[in-house]
Amino acid sequence: MSKSLILTILIFAIVLFLSIFYLLRKGRIPVKYALVWLFCVLLILLVSIIPNLMVHLANLLGFELLSNMVLSLFIAILLFLTLVLTVMIAGQKKKTTLLIQEISILKAEVDEVKHEKTK
Amino acid sequence: MKKKILLIIPAYNEEDNILKTYQDIIDYNKKNKTNYDCIVINDGSKDDTGKILDKYKIPHIDLIHNLGIGGAVQTGYKYAHLHNYDIAVQYDGDGQHDINYVKTIIEPLLDGKQDFVIGSRFVGNINTFQTTKLRKVGIRILSFFIKISCGFRLRDTTSGFRACNKKIIEEFAYEYPVEYPEPITTVELVKKNYKILEVGVNMKERLAGKSSIHTWKDVYYMINVCLSILIVGMRRYK
Repeated sequence: MSKSLILTILIFAIVLFLSIFYLLRKGRIPVKYALVWLFCVLLILLVSIIPNLMVHLANLLGFELLSNMVLSLFIAILLFLTLVLTVMIAGQKKKTTLLIQEISILKAEVDEVKHEKTK
Repeated sequence: MKKKILLIIPAYNEEDNILKTYQDIIDYNKKNKTNYDCIVINDGSKDDTGKILDKYKIPHIDLIHNLGIGGAVQTGYKYAHLHNYDIAVQYDGDGQHDINYVKTIIEPLLDGKQDFVIGSRFVGNINTFQTTKLRKVGIRILSFFIKISCGFRLRDTTSGFRACNKKIIEEFAYEYPVEYPEPITTVELVKKNYKILEVGVNMKERLAGKSSIHTWKDVYYMINVCLSILIVGMRRYK
């Protein structure tokens, strides 16, 4: 792995880390979710710090180039994250539906009571 | 003891039909000395459906946001559950369903012989309803998938004219499929060992307005429904 590639990856990892840190400090994402991302940063750092280990691993897994493995790894992580997000969205949708239904029923009942009072 | 019966009427942009639908129910009640209650679920209509409901004091719930047919109908079941109804009937607000057949579909529930009754266009020779060949093929395909997924032979897979007893009201109030509710609920109920019956009813042509099914979406719709049916068929229920 070339020196410049290592540097690029390192810079990317730092930027990602700072972004997560910023979001955490502003309270925009809970620690629970940030942890996954921090783990990603760690992984990226690992790649850039000990490229030799990664080269070995790449060979072992049948990748001809280390960069190929790194890319594939990222894609795999992203795919998995998207899957998790899909599950989360479905959960959110269920909750919103429940809220809309319950509030609407409540509103109708309140209206009815109000109506009876004014009669 | 007299059973409490509720007609659940989901309505989305039905300003042209909803009053007539309601009037039919009131007239029927007067003529036959029945007391079918009804509740219109206004699914965030963009036209004047809401105003009509208010003006003519039609019992209704305005959903604060559009939910789609599944979410709207479930709201009705929640209402039925809340008010302790014995029987709930799903009844379209677009004038397709005939009030005279409500009696037909609730009959098997009254003596507790059945749990769930589906009003069908393809049972008996009552029906005058004409449908396109393509749609018939679609319904056949769905029927086939339902058969292999739960073993029940359902002829009118997309019928929204259905009646259920108290136990199923509770079940639906708690959980109701948002996507393709008609075929999916049938499979679920069969798998949960409820007794289901399909009875022949007449359905009218839509009075006005557009149906919610569009041709260009049909293929995608079919694939989705078939998959959903198979997946529900694979689920385990106690």
